[in-house]
Amino acid sequence: MKEKSLLQELESKFPQLEGKAVIQRARRIFVDHPHDSFYEVFDFSVKNLGCTMLCTLTGIDEDVMLAVIYNLGRDDGILINLIVRVPKEAPILKSVSSYFPNAVLYERELVDLFGMKVEGLPEGYRYPLPDNWPEGQFPLRKDWKQNHDNAGKEVQSDV
Amino acid sequence: MSNVTIPVGPQHPALKEPASFKITINGERIERADVRLGYNHRGVEKACEERNYIQDIYLIERVCGICSHSHSTAFVLAVEEIAAIEVPKRAFYIRTIIAELERIHSHLLWLGVAGHEIGFDTLLMYSWRDREIVMDILNMLTGNRVNYGINTIGGVRRDITPKQAQEILCGIDKLEERTRYYIELATEEVTLINRLSGVGFLSHEDALHLGAIGPTGRGSAVDRDIRRDDPYLSYPELQFKIVTDDHCDVYGRTLVRVGELMESYGMIRQLLQNIPEGPISVKAPRKIPAGRAFSRYEAPRGEDVHYIQANGTDMPERVKLRAPTLANVQSVARMLENSYLADVPIVVASIDPCFSCTDRMISLRTDGPGEKLMSWPELHAFSLDWNRKNRGIDFTNLNKRLIEKKV
Amino acid sequence: MATQLFYLLIFPGFLFLSAFGLFAEYADRKIYARMQNRIGPPWFQPLADFIKLLGKETIIPESADRRIFLLMPVFALTAAVTSFLYIPMWDTHALVSFNGDAIVVLYLLTIPTVTFFLGGWSSNSMYSTIGAVRSITQLFAYEVPLFMGILAPSLLAGTWSLSEISAFYNAHSWYWLVNLPGLAIALIAVQGKLEKVPFDIPEAETEIVGGTFTEYSGRLLALLRMALDVEMVVVASLLAAVFLPFGLGYAPITGFIIYLIKVFFIIFLMALVRTVLARLRIEQMVNFCWKYLAPAGLLQLVVCLFVKGVMLQ
Repeated sequence: MKEKSLLQELESKFPQLEGKAVIQRARRIFVDHPHDSFYEVFDFSVKNLGCTMLCTLTGIDEDVMLAVIYNLGRDDGILINLIVRVPKEAPILKSVSSYFPNAVLYERELVDLFGMKVEGLPEGYRYPLPDNWPEGQFPLRKDWKQNHDNAGKEVQSDV
Repeated sequence: MSNVTIPVGPQHPALKEPASFKITINGERIERADVRLGYNHRGVEKACEERNYIQDIYLIERVCGICSHSHSTAFVLAVEEIAAIEVPKRAFYIRTIIAELERIHSHLLWLGVAGHEIGFDTLLMYSWRDREIVMDILNMLTGNRVNYGINTIGGVRRDITPKQAQEILCGIDKLEERTRYYIELATEEVTLINRLSGVGFLSHEDALHLGAIGPTGRGSAVDRDIRRDDPYLSYPELQFKIVTDDHCDVYGRTLVRVGELMESYGMIRQLLQNIPEGPISVKAPRKIPAGRAFSRYEAPRGEDVHYIQANGTDMPERVKLRAPTLANVQSVARMLENSYLADVPIVVASIDPCFSCTDRMISLRTDGPGEKLMSWPELHAFSLDWNRKNRGIDFTNLNKRLIEKKV
Repeated sequence: MATQLFYLLIFPGFLFLSAFGLFAEYADRKIYARMQNRIGPPWFQPLADFIKLLGKETIIPESADRRIFLLMPVFALTAAVTSFLYIPMWDTHALVSFNGDAIVVLYLLTIPTVTFFLGGWSSNSMYSTIGAVRSITQLFAYEVPLFMGILAPSLLAGTWSLSEISAFYNAHSWYWLVNLPGLAIALIAVQGKLEKVPFDIPEAETEIVGGTFTEYSGRLLALLRMALDVEMVVVASLLAAVFLPFGLGYAPITGFIIYLIKVFFIIFLMALVRTVLARLRIEQMVNFCWKYLAPAGLLQLVVCLFVKGVMLQ
């Protein structure tokens, strides 16, 4: 099975991943991951494991941590999902736009919706929130509730 | 003429949905193009977390008006994977039939839009007339022309009867004949070829580097298609070929889309021939056990990616969707460089953009900078006032006064 | 004096032309729609549009040059109406004629394009400016083939008066056949003058919104659209007079019907051209006009000279 051999390759290069990577089903590999060596694993996956596209970045609010799934795709349809966790207090990531230019928009989404800080993100318009969006409001965090209607009036009741 | 910057969007006749392209031109040539998105962010992902799975299907179906089945199928596939539901084969077949019909309607729609963008309205009228055939079929099968609502967790909600199958085949035959005519048109009509070939060039290397997907990538000879690479639904049982083209321009993308139409007709015939008997759905639990799944789906515009994380309740913990346009936006910026202003509409249209799927939330405003927003009663009062001041017509309580007059 | 006023204001002047223009727009839209497999508008649609536009608010941009912005639609309409006076309809006599009026008509027909340019330029919006530049660029491309196409018949007739041209062809019955290639050239060139597909580049909706007309609204837009309608009738009549000069000299009613048939035939041909073609890019348009249309016009001139030299001796 191709997934197995990929996994073995990954684990032999990074022994700390032993037991952290699972094959969930055919063509889906999930790799849970400590923060420190993440970018080396990422680099290795892109350069040696034949990951040719970045499908998306998914942010998840996990209470004290924010998780980000880097969704790497191979030409034969195998997805390697690298999961990295950063503390909510200081959510700092490094940009991967040098590997995949289209990561820029995905990273901007994380910045706007989760309040991540992405180092090395090129200048540009924000996405997807409007320019006059108030500071410090990150809609996809679990503790965020919408309390304004479309016309900007404050809504009292908790919908 | 020195460099000038032209705004194309957020409101512009060439764009059916809001996006903003700031285009710096020198004469008629484009020097730079900046893309800005996010005008249609509706908060679908957040809203999904606050609703249960069944409600989410209908919400996600409304992410996009054209590829609604794509999004809802990608969603239910992920949920079914987490809950380990054995979906009957017949349900998969029906989903696949709807999926291919949707691709046909989307590609025919695109053909018309492309024609309109280059001022060839006859093509628009013809292809949209023919699109009615497939819309009618979808209406017959699902009860709706768009937003079919046929998916449910564990299967589909409506069966296909033999009589309906017959009608689908009939419609497909007609469409195939018309599509042959469009292929002929695309290869012979001189002004059409002049406006399409060499326009919006995206080299094979750039397409790979920028991650172009769907027909945009296949038009630049990128041989990727989720239906074959990461098969789902009934695609493993079908015979079809991936249409690619090495023109690397809008013309190539047109040929890919028209070619895919022909493939879809073949696929629907196979599906209807081999569709197994049996139930169309199984009962699914309300609460989905904890787990996570990525599902990928080849929508008409390219790959849809959905991620669902379940936490054991009847509401998902996290729903993430990535629509194909988001992956193709950077390719558009590249294609626009060094092309003509006149080509902006067709180049933008050539990725078949769908900005509403791409963005997903409504704006929250406090009293910050920016234009004043009016609520509906305010706008109404403003309009009454304006007419009284400028036209001397008083519309206030018009109905009431009319009734009084009659009495 | 009274008859003069009647001529100018009622028939064949302003009122008749306006009604005719609206009807021609209807015919054009209906034919276009039928060829695209659509139903098309009802007969009163152009009139309804016109009335509706008259009732709409006229917005003048703050940064626009007010005077020119207001004047240009009037100029456009005036020029188009005036040029009609020199064109013979069912007779070999136009209302006004002198030797050289063919050239005057062609120049009068250029004035609307120039006014579109000035109006668009003075409205000071990005889209209008680009539309204005495009309309003037395109003017230089289609004008030469159009002139050559129309002047070839007059060369054969040996006169610069439109009335005398039709008189000549009426007398020498089959010579107009020589000019048929000229008709094709002129038909394509006038698509540019009337800003219709494939040469509707100055007002390409999907690229530059409304082009030169972007900032115009209400009454001013109504006038501009009327000017374009009248221009279409005038151009069709001109082509009918120059290229289809047969069936003249009947009783007024019969003659008028024959004239209408000719005009609507020309309008049908123009609708056909815009049904089957896509819009070109401005540089493709200029290339096409200079590379193919202008040499074809030149060839037509040579043919006419040859015919005149050899056959008419």
